This record gives sequence, C-alpha cells and structure tokens, in this order.
Amino acid sequence: MEIVVCVKPVPEGETRLRVRADGKALDPEGVKFVLTGYDESALEQALLLKEATPGSRVHVVACGPAPRTEEVLRASIALGADLATWVEATGELASDPLAVARALAAAVRAVPHDLVLCGKQAGDHEEGLVGAALGELLDAPDFGAVVDLRFDPASGRLRFQRSTEGGQEKWESPLPCVIALQQAWNDPRTAKLPAILKSRKAPIAKVPATPADGGRSIGERFELPPPRSGAKMIEFKTPEEAAEKLVRLLKEEAKVFP
Amino acid sequence: MSPGVLVVGELHDGRVVPSTLEAVGVARTLAPGPGEVVVLLAGSRSRAAAAELGAHGVGRVLVSEDARLDTAPAAAIAVVATAAARALDAGTVLVGGTTFGRDLAGRLAARWSATAATGATDVVRDGTALRVRRPVFGGRATETLRLDGPRCVVAIRPHAFAAPAGSPSSPTLEAAPAVEIPAPLLAARRTGVEPTSAGAGPGLTDAAVVVSGGRGVRAPENFRLVEELAAALGGAVGASRAVTDAGWRPATLQVGQTGKTVSPQLYIAVGISGAIQHLMGMISSRVIVAVNNDATAPIFKVADYGIVGDLFQILPALTAEVRRARGT
Repeated sequence: MEIVVCVKPVPEGETRLRVRADGKALDPEGVKFVLTGYDESALEQALLLKEATPGSRVHVVACGPAPRTEEVLRASIALGADLATWVEATGELASDPLAVARALAAAVRAVPHDLVLCGKQAGDHEEGLVGAALGELLDAPDFGAVVDLRFDPASGRLRFQRSTEGGQEKWESPLPCVIALQQAWNDPRTAKLPAILKSRKAPIAKVPATPADGGRSIGERFELPPPRSGAKMIEFKTPEEAAEKLVRLLKEEAKVFP
Repeated sequence: MSPGVLVVGELHDGRVVPSTLEAVGVARTLAPGPGEVVVLLAGSRSRAAAAELGAHGVGRVLVSEDARLDTAPAAAIAVVATAAARALDAGTVLVGGTTFGRDLAGRLAARWSATAATGATDVVRDGTALRVRRPVFGGRATETLRLDGPRCVVAIRPHAFAAPAGSPSSPTLEAAPAVEIPAPLLAARRTGVEPTSAGAGPGLTDAAVVVSGGRGVRAPENFRLVEELAAALGGAVGASRAVTDAGWRPATLQVGQTGKTVSPQLYIAVGISGAIQHLMGMISSRVIVAVNNDATAPIFKVADYGIVGDLFQILPALTAEVRRARGT
C-alpha cells in the first residue's frame, strides 16, 4: 500500500506564546517547532499499516517555511517514513488552510497514494480543515477524528471508528481515502539515535507552492488572554456549606449552572 | 459577497442537533432580513425534522430525502450543500461545531472554492468580508481572521452561541437541488453507532458540563464520586492523564494535550493538580471550578472558583446539593 502522511510543524507544547510586533500572529522567534501530536498519531498509524502490509511505503509530505518544515520531515524519516516531499511556502500560502490543502493535494497527486493520513487538526490553529479539503481535491472520501483504523486486505476496505457527539461510530470505506486521525490513541513511537543521524542526510523532494484561488483567510489579530487572577476561594465550615455556596455562585454569579 | 446565508444542518436520530440551532442563531445575525435564513437538511427523515426549525426563526428549509445520505460521510452531503449554495447564490455557509460540521466545512470549502474557518466564537460582517474570532492553541490564545472572498464557510464553536427563539411558524419546505453524488462517496458508509451512555466519554467534547477526576481520587472505585456529580449536572466525565495511564478509566476520557480538548460552559476539576499537560485540554472552558486538598495546587491559578478540602467529603455534599437545586 502506498501511504502518504501530511504533517505540519507546530510550536512545542509548552512553548510560552508571544505576540508578534504587528499584533497579527504568533511571534515565532526562539520557538521550537515539532510534529503536532495529531500528526504523530497519523505517522504511527502509517508505520503500523506498513508493517502489517508487505510492500508498503510511507511518503511524508509537508507544506511550510524553512527551516521548521524540513525539520519535521526529517523527524518523520527518523521515525520510519521512506520518502519525503516539501512544498516550500511562506506567509498566507503556509497559513491559510485551503491554500495549504491545495498545495498538499498537488504534491500528493504527483505520487502514488492509496491512503492519505493526517492529523484531524494541528495543535496550533486547530482548524481541522486540511484533511477534508484534501479529500475533495483528491476525489476521495475523507473522515475526521478517526481512531482504531484497520485495513482488511480481503475486501480492500478500511474499517475504523470515530467518537462523535452521536456516539461511537463504526465506518468502512474503499481506497483511495483520506483519514484525519484523532490524537494520541495509538502511543506513537520515538525515534532512535542512529535513525535520527541517518535522517539528516536523507533526500527530500522540494516543490514550489502555487497561489490558490477562492478567497483568502487573513490573520488580523493574535491575542493572549489576560492572566487569570486566581480562583475565588470558597470559605466553609462543613462540606454542605461549601456545596451550597458553590452552587449559588454558579447560578447567580457565573450563570453556568445547568 | 452575496448576502445569502445557508446553514447545513445535522440530524441525529431524526432530530436537528443543538449545534445546528446555534448556527441558525449566527445565520440570523448575518442574513439580510428576518426569515431569510435557509437551512439544508439531508437524509430520509429530513422532512419531518424540518418542522422544528420554524420555532427558531427559520423561514425556508431545503430537504434532500435521499436515504443513502443517512449513512453516508459528510463528503456526500457536501455535494448536495454545494449545489444548494450555488442555487441560492449564497455567500456564506454556516455549520455547527461537531465532527460532522468540521468534516463538512473543509470539504465544502474546497468544492465550492471558498475560504473557511472553524471553531468560531464570533462571526460578523465587515464590508464584503467576514470577520471571525476563534480560540487557538488549546484556548491559550485567540485569533481574529478576515475571510476575504466571494464565498465563506464557517463552522461555529459548540456552546459559543445560543439557539435562537422565534415565533412558532412553519417554514416553507422545498426539495434541495437534485445532484449526482460520486460513487466512491456512497461506497463509504457508517455501519453502526453505539449511542453515548449518559455521562460517558464520547460526549466529552460536546458536553456543556465536564467533571474530571485526577490522581486525588486515589483508586478506581472512588471514581464513581466523580461520575455521580457529572450525572447530577447532566454532564460528561473526564479524567487526567494520571487516571487513564493507571488504567482506572479508558484513555478516551483523557482531557489534556495528549487527550481531548474540551471547552464546556462549566469544568470541574476534582483531585487534579493542574499540570500544563492537563490545562491545555481545558483552559478554554468558560468557568472552571477546582476541588483539591492542596491549596498550593496550580489548578487554583486558572480556576474561577476553588474549594480546598477533602474531595471524599465535598463531592457527596456537592452532588446532593446539585440534585436538590435541579430538582432531580
């Protein structure tokens, strides 16, 4: 099976967020970029499928600026990806989800692809648009928030589940197909040092991004919330008094009592 | 941008889901006049479900009663939605903030050559564009986007908007434009659904109230105290990573950076110290309550209300008080 995994560099989880001087975006200065956790799950899924299906390859594709995009592609190779393609893009071409989806779709179309995997969203802007848009652009069904993905070689179909508002859904789909995976349900592996060293010299195919049509999503403002001032602590003598005071505050002050 | 606004609705068990009604509320603020919001419903039960939209100020409903859409992916409904948006000459399509809504938004945006945003907590017109506010980075920041183009798709954030009231009326019903759905989209199908049991995991990301337990609960059998409070509040149960790693509760209940991100109206953290790992999954909750026996726990820095005390005493009292207050 030819498996393509689309990945995105995002700021490391515990990064202290700062606003860029123009107030319109995150200040990337000094930020360490890593694979988003959702994509780690997608890559892990690809590697598991590859191991279970002889003759499979994993091709990792990313769209974004230097050097962070190249870094996450190399990190993916260190984890076990066989091939890598980098769509070099900056500014809106790297931040507008539909522009990114179009750039990724062009790169995916150019290579063999039975199954396209990605995270259901990235941990930074959390749009979750790219997977579904990729499905449309590749004329394939797509599914978001997927867990427990299996390939049934006998029928050539994928079987998987999703936790949605309606319950635990079971699905099946033919290939080719785009699957956007839920995060951290499959315990992603970590790379070993020899593989990391080897990944530094691995070839990465580079393709340019092309301007997209259909309007633009432009970041106008990026704001951090005022620091929370700390909890209003409830004074009480008995548990019953604490309960009664809290319920009253939730009803009358916070107005969130259901 | 054309002023027309279309809401693509979602049905669950033949009923319109709450997030669709929330989207209708936003659509009414964007539509050029009252009664000019159009809703598209798809599936064999769409005609019956359309009636309840009248009570929310919807004047016109398009129905696509194709039974194949009952078990088809959002991608198939996006084909119908694109045809409907074109037929109406709509400039904006709104969807609810559900798994279905997210899937539909990206698919429709690509098919309809639109620009798009999800998780919107505020949507306003700005000349010919839409301005959308949305939390990012797990609620640690907020961005404002300008969607600039003739066509925009916006998925709203769950619970961020109220379902609108309207004088009860019967919306006019029309058949949605007939359109051929590509075979691969119908070859993919939902083969089953296990409904969410009350307070159980799958409803976690959609619940208006979440009660999560952490290490302070001490043993798996004590977790019922958390579950009882969640049930009394009509909410969902969550857990910290310590709890799911220990196998006390399944990993599907984990709230945090490596688990689920939730943004309920009310989040109650019980016996959770408040590691950044956990905070990233719940910091965008509207009101946070912490119950912990350690007054120095970092959770109290982000909480709105704090109770320092023994959860084994506080929780039963709180559950009883909640039941009394809700009359259940």
